Amino acid sequence: MSTFIRLLGFLKPYRRSVIWSLLLALGAMAMTVALPLLTGQAVNAINNHDGGKSLKLLALAVVAAGVIRLALSVARRVVAGKVSLGIEYDLRQRLYGHLQKLELGFFEGQQTGQLMSRATVDLQAVRFFLGYGLVFVVQSALTIFLSAIAMGILQPKLAAISLLPVPIVVYVARAYGRRSRPALQEVQQRIAELTAEAEENISGVRVVKAFAAEDRQLERFRHATSRVFSQAMFATKLQAMFNPLIAFLPNMGLAAILLIGGRDVIAGRLTIGAFVAFYAYLLMLIGPMRTLGIMLGMAQRATASGARIFEILDREPALTSPEGAPPPPPGGGRIEFEAVSLSYSGSNRPALSEINLTVDAGRTVAIVGPSGSGKSSLASLVPRLYDPQSGTVRLDGADVRSLDLPSLRQSVAIVGDDPFLFSATVHDNIAYGQPNASREEVVRAAQQAQAAGFIDSLPDGYDTRIGERGLTLSGGQRQRIAIARAIVADPRVLILDDATSSVDATTEREIKRALQSVMEGRTTLIVAHRLSTIALADEIAVLDAGHLIDHGTHSELLERSDLYRRIVEKGLPDNVFLNRKPVESEAAGL
Amino acid sequence: MTATQTPVLSRSADVRRRMRGTGDRGRKLKGLIRLLRPYRGRVILMFLTLFAATAAAIAPAPLAKMAIDKGITPKDVGALDQTVALFVASAVVYLLATSAQTWLTGWVGQRALADLRMELFQHLQTLSVEFYSKNRSGVIISRLTNDVEALDSLVSDGIVSLFQGTLTLFGTAAVLLYLDTQLALATFAVVPILWIGGLLYRIASADIYRRTREKIAAITSYLQETLSGIRVVRSFGQEPRHMTEFAQLNEANRGENMKTVYLNASYFPAVEMLSAAVTAGILLVGGAAAVSGRLTVGVVFAFVAALNNFFDPISQLSQLYTTYQSGMAALDKIFELLDTEADIVDQPTAVDLPHIEGRLTFDQIQFGYAGPDGAMALNGITFEVPAGTSVALVGETGAGKSTLAKLVARFHDPTEGRMLVDGHDLREVTARSLRSQMGIVPQEPFLFSGTLADNIGFGLQGATREQIVEAGTLVGLDTVVESFNEGWDAPVGERGVQLSSGQRQLVAFARALVSDPRILVLDEATANVDVHTEERIEEALEKLLVGRTAVIIAHRLSTIRTADMIVVLEHGRVVESGSHDELIEAGGHFSALHRDWMDHAGPLSK
Repeated sequence: MSTFIRLLGFLKPYRRSVIWSLLLALGAMAMTVALPLLTGQAVNAINNHDGGKSLKLLALAVVAAGVIRLALSVARRVVAGKVSLGIEYDLRQRLYGHLQKLELGFFEGQQTGQLMSRATVDLQAVRFFLGYGLVFVVQSALTIFLSAIAMGILQPKLAAISLLPVPIVVYVARAYGRRSRPALQEVQQRIAELTAEAEENISGVRVVKAFAAEDRQLERFRHATSRVFSQAMFATKLQAMFNPLIAFLPNMGLAAILLIGGRDVIAGRLTIGAFVAFYAYLLMLIGPMRTLGIMLGMAQRATASGARIFEILDREPALTSPEGAPPPPPGGGRIEFEAVSLSYSGSNRPALSEINLTVDAGRTVAIVGPSGSGKSSLASLVPRLYDPQSGTVRLDGADVRSLDLPSLRQSVAIVGDDPFLFSATVHDNIAYGQPNASREEVVRAAQQAQAAGFIDSLPDGYDTRIGERGLTLSGGQRQRIAIARAIVADPRVLILDDATSSVDATTEREIKRALQSVMEGRTTLIVAHRLSTIALADEIAVLDAGHLIDHGTHSELLERSDLYRRIVEKGLPDNVFLNRKPVESEAAGL
Repeated sequence: MTATQTPVLSRSADVRRRMRGTGDRGRKLKGLIRLLRPYRGRVILMFLTLFAATAAAIAPAPLAKMAIDKGITPKDVGALDQTVALFVASAVVYLLATSAQTWLTGWVGQRALADLRMELFQHLQTLSVEFYSKNRSGVIISRLTNDVEALDSLVSDGIVSLFQGTLTLFGTAAVLLYLDTQLALATFAVVPILWIGGLLYRIASADIYRRTREKIAAITSYLQETLSGIRVVRSFGQEPRHMTEFAQLNEANRGENMKTVYLNASYFPAVEMLSAAVTAGILLVGGAAAVSGRLTVGVVFAFVAALNNFFDPISQLSQLYTTYQSGMAALDKIFELLDTEADIVDQPTAVDLPHIEGRLTFDQIQFGYAGPDGAMALNGITFEVPAGTSVALVGETGAGKSTLAKLVARFHDPTEGRMLVDGHDLREVTARSLRSQMGIVPQEPFLFSGTLADNIGFGLQGATREQIVEAGTLVGLDTVVESFNEGWDAPVGERGVQLSSGQRQLVAFARALVSDPRILVLDEATANVDVHTEERIEEALEKLLVGRTAVIIAHRLSTIRTADMIVVLEHGRVVESGSHDELIEAGGHFSALHRDWMDHAGPLSK
């Protein structure tokens, strides 16, 4: 319930509009309720063979009520629509803004799909209820209430009898809403399973074909399909049971009016006009009865969705910089790790323990070690993608936690192994860190990154769109764009996460040249897996299971570190004939 | 980073297109009929119940008229009771018929969709690997999912509403005509207005709703992208920019949706208004007729009562249009896919390959993708791999190594020349009999979500637990398995994400090994793995090769050294072949590549 009240809080900025839309709805409802009364009066007039003035007057009144209702409804719809869309806008903006503030660790514990569903499906449920549902509930309840009053004035006994189906219909509609929702969600769930099955088969089609497993996979898909079918039929059965019943019950009310009201008219206790009005009222109430029940169900769903959205909004960002924090002090990018320990939530083993390491400005240090030894974790501490549990990381003498976060991150650039590019133009991707960079700067960076050659041969050069519906680039090309992106950002610290692992010999040489030019005059941390990248480094730090076990030059370490020797001999593939095709087109191998 | 602009058609052409709907109705109709044919009994029953339900839904108005004219006005309680009994009976018929009709429609619709899904899936499986390289997998998947679902909403809501709405409309019209022709015709005068209004609404709404879908899709994909790339966003500190861009998209969405608000706010209240006006008209015209004695009060009342049945279907049918349009568009795309013909199919005369030894013969093979430059991917490839020996394919990217390997598995047929296994032309044997005797290890091992055992067992239909464990143990997975609580039944996660890349590689080895294949096709992994896994992979590879014919796309010198023969490819031609030592001695391409490596690793190797 508290979630529901918090949800109502989103209406606050629209208080006046909400009140207006309620007033307008009230007015429109009054007109709607007046219509059967006027019709009844008209029938009375006809029955009294009064075809003259009063009938014309009544017909005119009907039209007038219709016109007033038209004006009020148009205004109500526009006002309510503005509120609904405003809420949608606010909610989405808040959610997105909050996601942008949350630390990286939050995203690693979440599936993107889960977050997406909160930001789309749940948000939709909330905004629909707040924007439209609430108005419908009020409107329907109001219509029923006003009609009940009008009917009560006409004939209390008949009103009581003919309104008997109303609570039943509302109750049944709500029961239906409650049962059908989980049933339909289960249908969606099973469709999602079916989708996953289809996706896997299509992505892995080469494997399926390679092992001649088509028939087995077809069988699995048939199973998934029949699961969808049986659940959809379950939902259909609910529908077949409840929906006709919801429509049937008001008819019983109509029958009661005919039977009892008819007798009353015969006995002279009721005018024929009142009888007609009763009948018309009940016809008119069928919609609101149903709507009220369904909207009450929707309120429940919106509350559940709201709870999921609040779960995100209530999460405090764990990584923030103090108000008015300064940018990093001037310097060449000296990095100090002082007794740094880091563990990830959900892991009992520390990722880093008690690391002490100083990298002088302008130096290049390669971090090597077996997988899971903490190489990438150590590098991520510099731009504060994570905060260590204990110890201090300093950039040019300043504790990174005391610095303004965006400025800190802008002074550190990362070039990853499988760089993420946005579906935007090549230019926009290279200029990502400096959106105002001129074309000249972008081209210069691309040249330095040895990317200018292939970019020129793209269909639209620097204006070629990458990714979705655009062009796919090979791993090596993506890396060089990522290097150019880092050059434009002009950071004082560069972090390379083995940027040369998936390319052929020629490309590798080009990338190496690119790296040498971007490393010039910057402090560089290399998360290294390969001999050739290690060769770029001045010194090497060896990590094992989160401990810094040695630190020195290549020849020193070859001499004294057993692990380093093994890594050099075995752990680093000699990819001389490495000839990989672009990852995108060959994801499923062969 | 902004939404793509859709081309703007001229307004009138756009309207014409919209009125026409989507093209080729004949084919779609035929396709739908074909889907429903197996269930014609139920379909007929569905229509019968639909008729009954609609008739029962129309009945109340004339019955109410009867109650007034036969019972109330002449003060005949018996006639009133009879009419009420009929009224209740018609309501019960409505209840039962609607219930049956809902169930039948659901059944037929869902059944047809399930069949369509199966048909699509089955069809997709017959399509060649080339089809999958040419089409993005996301697009193909969406045929099976989004498009079938768009059809679902058409089938489960659309079609019934369409028939029911139409039947109700015409039924009510008939009832009104029966009650009083003159008044009925007067009432019908409003039909053209409603119809034109509905049509205009349709045209406008289809357009506006399509644009709102585009706007929300732009928001969704922007969200998706910034969430996937959150690391990059963070490391470049670009959050404020994304906030601004997102706000723009959000605002555009609001603006577009506001148009739907204006549209609906002008259309639906106007229909309500029209209904009130018609009521007034009926009262006026009908009232005058009743006063003059030409009509009874009951008739006037029945007209007012039946008005809803007349107005609702018209509004309803107008609203159906968007569902109809997207369903039809989906159907178009689905049939287009079903019309794609499989390009590699077993010939009708194809025979099962007998148990093979594993001798491979590449005989004058040419292969050309239909590229714009018309260049050959493979040109005049001729060599033989004796049974039980291994050949390493070496060359730069695009030299044709992968294509050559694909020919062995018959993922492609050569354009010219023949690919022979034990002297059998692969075009004359069934793909199944070939591939079941072949083990393929792709470079990026694709694993299916399921357990470790499931994935190893994937290589052999009906593999026993023993076979699975044996194959797993042989490649050294047993030590990995010890660290999992569920052992061999540990789930590997979607695409095997729970495993490291080295572990995935080992599973792919075991999967290829479990069927004890005669021929191995191996695209050597280049992923970086840690020291221990690297050693294990090397050992596994040695075991894998014993006594089998192997075609290896080799990247590592250690693998190249152990191969019996090395074939160096360049631009689709074999430029050199022989053993490692022979090639080094010959001083050709391979020895140059070898030297290159020595230089490369130079600063570190002693």
